Order: sequence, then structure tokens, then C-alpha cells
Amino acid sequence: MRRLTQQEYRNSIADIFGKEIEVRGSFEPMIRVGGLQAASTSVLSVTPFGFESFTNMADSIAIQVTGEKYRAKLPCVPKATKEPDDACTAQILSQYGRMLYRRPLTSDEIQSAVNLSHGLAESQSDFYAGLRYGLGSLLQAPDFVFRMETAVPAGGMQWALDPYSRATRLSYLMWDSTPDEELIQAAEKGELNTAAGLEKQVDRLMTSPRLDIGMRTFFNDMLELDTFDTVSKDSILYPKWSSGIAASAKEETLRTAIDLALHENGDMRDLMTTRKTFLNRSLAADYQLPFPFKGEWMPYEFPADSGRSGILTQASMLAMFSHPGRSSPTKRGVAVMDIFLCEPTPPPPANVDFSVVNNTSGPLKTVRERLMAHATNGSCASCHNHSDPIGLSLEGFDTIGQRRIMENGIPIDVSATIKGKHFVGAEGLGQFLHDDPKYPACLARKVYSYSRGENSEEVSASAFKAAYKSFADSGFRMRSLLKAMVEDKDYFSAPAPIPETISPSAQ
Amino acid sequence: MRIDRRFLLRGTFQGALAVMGLPFLDCFLDSKGEVLGATGRPLPTRFNTFFYGLGLTNQLWIPKTGGKDYEITTQLKPLEPYRAKMNVFSGLRVPLDDNPNYQHWSGAAAAVTGISPTKTQEFNSKTIDQQIADVISRGARFKSISAAAAGDPKQSYSSLGGPNAIPAEASPLSLYTRLFGPGFQDPTKGDWKPDPQVMIQQSVLSAVADNRRRVMQNLGAADRTRMDQYFTSVREAELQMAAQLQRPEIQAKVTIPAAPPDMVCNSSLLNLRKSTPLMARLGALALATDQTRVFNLSVSEPTSAIFMPGDPLGYHNTTHEEPIDPALGYQPRVAQYNVDVMELFALLLKELDGIPEGDGTVLDHSLVFAFTDQSYARIHAVDGLPIFVAGGASGRMKTGYHVAGDSSPVSRVGLTIQRAMGVPAEVWGKGSMEVRQPYTDLLT
Repeated sequence: MRRLTQQEYRNSIADIFGKEIEVRGSFEPMIRVGGLQAASTSVLSVTPFGFESFTNMADSIAIQVTGEKYRAKLPCVPKATKEPDDACTAQILSQYGRMLYRRPLTSDEIQSAVNLSHGLAESQSDFYAGLRYGLGSLLQAPDFVFRMETAVPAGGMQWALDPYSRATRLSYLMWDSTPDEELIQAAEKGELNTAAGLEKQVDRLMTSPRLDIGMRTFFNDMLELDTFDTVSKDSILYPKWSSGIAASAKEETLRTAIDLALHENGDMRDLMTTRKTFLNRSLAADYQLPFPFKGEWMPYEFPADSGRSGILTQASMLAMFSHPGRSSPTKRGVAVMDIFLCEPTPPPPANVDFSVVNNTSGPLKTVRERLMAHATNGSCASCHNHSDPIGLSLEGFDTIGQRRIMENGIPIDVSATIKGKHFVGAEGLGQFLHDDPKYPACLARKVYSYSRGENSEEVSASAFKAAYKSFADSGFRMRSLLKAMVEDKDYFSAPAPIPETISPSAQ
Repeated sequence: MRIDRRFLLRGTFQGALAVMGLPFLDCFLDSKGEVLGATGRPLPTRFNTFFYGLGLTNQLWIPKTGGKDYEITTQLKPLEPYRAKMNVFSGLRVPLDDNPNYQHWSGAAAAVTGISPTKTQEFNSKTIDQQIADVISRGARFKSISAAAAGDPKQSYSSLGGPNAIPAEASPLSLYTRLFGPGFQDPTKGDWKPDPQVMIQQSVLSAVADNRRRVMQNLGAADRTRMDQYFTSVREAELQMAAQLQRPEIQAKVTIPAAPPDMVCNSSLLNLRKSTPLMARLGALALATDQTRVFNLSVSEPTSAIFMPGDPLGYHNTTHEEPIDPALGYQPRVAQYNVDVMELFALLLKELDGIPEGDGTVLDHSLVFAFTDQSYARIHAVDGLPIFVAGGASGRMKTGYHVAGDSSPVSRVGLTIQRAMGVPAEVWGKGSMEVRQPYTDLLT
């Protein structure tokens, strides 16, 4: 059972009712579990704050859908607008309810919503007022705000997701939205339970341009780009930085990832080395580039001597994992380990005196010198020796991602050694990660965990073994990974439901 | 007259709606046609929390003597105008038992739950404001309100326990809109009327709540707990609506201002000095107009990202990286940030104390619990957390004292607060922080 994310909610409403329906309201923030917000949707509930928002949004959506302008789109017209019309209400609510709940409503569910509408239409002498509240009740029901997954027996001792739950999982993974009519029909006909039927739908979902939307959401989550919304920079030290640059930097990274993964069908390892990117005017300013292009977003390739290499050298990643007024090799290193290598760093020991480490007015002028002081402390060294070389090789970029070669009057040394391999600067790091098999394995792990809402640290490698093999065999193409993953025979397996033991307090 | 909402709504599901069909505003009018209310009940006592990260500097904040006539210290200077209305606690212990010291978390969790946390970023129980809200908030429009002056809705130390934090309003404008935007009926105006929409929405919620039994079936234990929380939230929304059908009783002479401008809210100290007083003012008005009885304000996360523009380190890194000045014996730039944050705290007290009501001010009829995550941030120490409790809780709390170094667990403050707020807690906290003895000297 997964709570809808803000984006899933918005996309679902747009797909069900049309883009003209506005969704106004705030959503409860999510947390990261195993590096992914998606995994927190399996543990978070709805607080009173969250429900207050859901209930307000539900009514606002229902008002719009039953408003004068929208009525022509509804599947029926009441016999009289000032009276209840249960047949028409039932028709409308079962049509939209099926999209909202991602399954057909039971007759009891329809009847309950129709009764509510009937009573209120009568007391308000207005068919559409009644419909508004009936629809509102569906829009805030747990069946909509949570993605329920239902397991059914699948032969032997095995259990697997029912067809509607399969359709839902596929649709939110690929399109970040509710299943469309064709997919629900495929579920209804049992086609998703056959290999051929499943493949047909998977291919359809994957050839749609809407796959971009689904994968953007994945990359946004995996790359932790949501963090960017609360990143602030020191306006005195970096007056150039603005929220416009921040938003553009995020977009740049998403465009780069989507372009490589879907449009170019490229080798995902190249994400670590590519100099190809997309720029707009405010980003060009951040990168200190002349901006000759007319359009808002233009493809751009950094020159070979730019020091840029892959998305790690994009402004987003460099700025996100830095302090407001200073770069942070440790933050950057820890982020790379966590995001791209699936090696989360434990928190530092509680009682450590850091004050010797970073006094710029003392004898240790560069970050490197100051960080190396950690190595004298055994408990620090065990982690810092992993993450710091990564971060130090990115020191050629400041806290807003601008190139630099000096720090406090001393040339910056961007050389690093990891696991006996020596490399220099961001290009060296990019190549190192490109060649490290841990990176594509981590990417596959994150995609799998994301799609199932599981903690990536707890997923066993065997769960996505077949998918990873296809990924590797294809030369690390994202599409091969996705297709093999969802068509794997175990992808929809589910634990057997627990016999009902509702405690008295839950009655 | 009490209205049994269930009774009214039952009609809905038989399709009859006999009661709803009446001009049902009559339910709320007395025989002369005047709006019911003004029962002469005493003002409710309100509860506030103030969270600030990174603690203070021991040499500079702890008064030398305990009791009433302590000498104000450098770092308490911003709070001096309110010293008679607050208590200062020093030397409190934070025994974490067998759990790790989750840096920038364990101390805050201990202070606000009385429990040494077993996970970082999560509390092992409801936080104290929610425990108190369960008891005092019935009848208020919002059970609790949280606000984060630094612009991040996640900077909320109000939680239902586990991963379910109550998000904070992250700008003065969003706080204003929530409190005084659509759905707000101004009780300071003479023409207050219950909104008929509210009753209709109640019947919708009732229909949603009727899903409970069906939905709960076939869920595993963990999902059932989450679904139970969802339905609890539905119930809270129903209560919230019920509260909106009754005119709030207020004694304060206030007017609701126009909406504040949209502004940049982040961890820059200069911006915090603008957003904090605005949010504090809105919170104080919400309490005075009984929109809520629990208001939580934070100015940072525990790993405070506060920075003064031009300082490349910022507050948190300074605590770890600034050398101790050998002559002074402390970290001077950290000490300045400490004072900056106490000034922000004083802004909250100023707004609460600035609204007269009845025989005092909103502050006099409130408690404010100010807490933090570390006592000595440089080494992530938690013993000796600087804790403040301001406000007289409508006369139930004696104030003006420095409770010095008695080595009680920090949870003793929490228990004392509960008692002052009228919560019948016999015991509070767990493990070595389980306490049964409040600071009885402070309670009247």
C-alpha cells in the first residue's frame, strides 16, 4: 500500500479529468528511505495536515468537474438539474471511480456515493451540488490517495498481484500516473497475467512519449533533485545565484538523463562522462558561458578542456552537495557513494572534535589539507578514505558549480586514488565511475526499488538479477532494464495476505 | 444545546435528509435568534514549542546561581524582557541508555518525547505538543499548527511518531492562508455565522469514514497501522469541522491583518529576522482567536543551516570547525550565532506577550517550550541541553526561576509541562528518562 506522491496525484487528476482541472494545495513532504522517496510511500500515512489538504483538494476538484464549464464532458445529463437523478449519478461516479480507484467500484461503493449525492442534491435542490459531494467522497477515499496492492493465489503456494494492481504498478512506473483505459481493460480481461498480453502493454507504455514523464520522476528521485528546492546560497559570496538558476540546473540534469536514457537509447554509464547537456540563459551565466542561442533550452556540448564530465559536474549536483558559501568534498563524496554506488555512509561518530579540521586562517589552507587531518583519526578515516577522494576530485568547482583552479591562493590539487586506481579531476572521476560495475548495478537496484516502493538497502541482488543481465547484455540501455524487469516472472509476486485479525481498536 | 452530528447525518444514508432539509442554521441560534456561544468558559491555556538547532555556549548562557534572583547572562540577554515570565533549566541530563547518540537528533527527541530515539529523524512516540493537543484542542479549528521560519516544511518537530511528522507551513503567506484564508470566519467581527458548507462537508467525511471496515480488511499489520492513522486523520477533520460550527470565544481585542507579502524564506539570518516575527505574530493571532491552541515554530533544523551572508561556513559548520579562542575559552563566532537565535526566540515571546486578553496576555495564558538538539554542538554533547519554558499557563506555572543543575532527566520538564497544561500524566518518558515527579515547586 503506497501513498500517492504529489506528482502521481497531479498526473492522475490531469489524466482522469483533463489538464484544465487545477489542483491547488500542499502535499505532505516525503522522506528518503534507502536513497529513494518512493520507498517512503510504503511507510508514510496521512497526518491530519495531509488529510485536511486532501479533503480541500477533493472538493476543489469536484467543484470544477461539476461546474458549468465542464458539464458537457460528463457522460450523461440529469433528467432535471434541480433534482437527484440516481441513474446518471451512478453512471458518472462509476466511470470516474474506476479511474480513481484503478479498478471497478463494487456496487456497494457506488450505492454509498450515489446515496450521498442523492441526499445532498435533494436538500440543495441541485443535481450537480449532490454530484459534487459524491465525487468529493471518492477523491478523498483511501482507495484513491493510497495505491492499494491486492495479492491473489497464483498457483502452488505462490501469491501474486491481481491484474488491477499490476496495471497500477506498471502505469505509475512508466507514466507516473493512473492506468489509462486500455491498460485497465487489459487488466479486466486478464491479459496482464499472460506473458504475451503483458508484453503488449509494456511495449505500448514504453513506446509512448509519456515514458519521459515516468523516468523524469525516477531520476528526480534517484538524483535527490527535490533537495534542491531548499538549497540556499550565500547572497554576499555568490550574488549571481538565484532561484531561477536553481530551477534551471535541476531541469538541465533531468534533460541530460532523459536524453541519454530514452531519446538516444544510450549507454547509461555515459551519464558519468558525457559533456553533452542542455542550457538556457540563466545556466549559461552560471557556467560563465556566452549565450548565443535564441531558444530557451538548447543542446550544448562542453569543450574537452572544460573540466566537465557527466552529470556530477553539472551545477545541480555540485551546488546541492555543498554548503551555502563553500564547496564540500565530504558532502559530494558521500552523495556519490550513496546515489551512484549504493554505498551509504554511516553518520560520523558522535563525539568528534572537528575544530582542527577546518580552520582556514590556520596553517591548513586548502580543503584537501584540512580534510587530510581526518586521516590521523582512525574512526574518521574508515569512512573519509572512501568518500573524500571522490569529493576532492570535484574541488575544481565551487559551491555554485563554477570552474576554479585556486583556493585561498593555492592551486587546487584534484588528484585522487580510490581502490588503488589513481585519477585526476572530474574527468578522471567520471571515467572511474563509468568503469566501476557497481554503478550500473546500483542504478538497476534503484530502478527496481523505486518501482516496488522498497528500501534499496534491503532488496536482494537476486530480485533483479535477470533484469540486470538484460541491462548489461544490451550495453546498459535503460529501456532494456525496464522491460526485462517488469516482464520478469517474479516481478508481480507478492507475499500471501495475512488472515484478518482486526484488533478491537480498529473496529 | 449540543448537536449530535451523527444523528443529523444518519439521515443522509437513508436518502431522507430530514434534518439537513431544514434551514439548519436554526440549530445554532438561541430562542432570540442570536448565535450561540459566549458561555463564559475560561480561556483555554495554549501550548507552543520553539525549536532551535545547535544549543548555546555553556559559559555564556548558564546563570551562576539558581532560583529567582539569578543574574542575566550574555546569551540570555535577548530574553531579559520576559525573565519574569519564564523559567530557565540548566544541567538537565539526557540519558540515552543503550541507544546511540544520533547526532543532532537524540537530544531533541529526548526533550520533546522523553524517549531516547532508536532511529535518527524519527520520534519513538507522539511529540509533547501532539500529546497535549489530544487533550486541549477539542473545539479549536486546527488541532495544531506548525510553522518553519527557514522555509522548509520538513523543519517540524511535531510528530505523530515514526515517520509521520506534521509538516510545517513554510512561509508567512502560507501560514496566513491556512489560518485566515478560505474557510476562516472572523470571530472578531460581529456578523459571525456558522457556514452551512461545513455541515455538508461533514456528511462527506462521514461517508469517507464509513469505508473503514472494508478497507481495513486484508491489510498486513504495518499497513493497518497506517490506515488506522488515515482514519484517525479523517476523524480529526470531522472534529475540526464540528469546531467550526461554534463561534470561538475570544477575549483579545485583535484584528486580523491583511495577508503578508510573499517573501524569500531560507536559512539566511537576515531573512529569518523577517519571517520569524511575522510567523510568530500570525501564530499569536491564531491562539488569540482560538483557531488553534497549539502552535509550533522552528527557526532551523537540528543541523542548523542558518548562516549570516558572507560567512562561508554557516552556523553548523562553525560549531564544528571554529577553534576555541584560547583567551575566551569558547568559540566566539558560534557564540554570536547562539545570541542571534535567542533573539529569534525573543521575537516569539514578544508577539505572544503583545496581545492582551482578559487579565493578562496570550503569553500569560500559554506555555512555550523551547528546546534544542545539542548542549555543546562542537562535540555533539546532549547532557545539559538549554531548555526554556515561558508563560504562566493561566496561573498554573510559576515563573521567573532558573532551575539549576539538579541533574534531573530532561523529561522532568516535559512532565511538569503536562501537569501545568492539565494533562493527567502520572509518568512521562521511558527508560532512564521515565519520570514521575514533576517540578512541583513550579506548579501552583
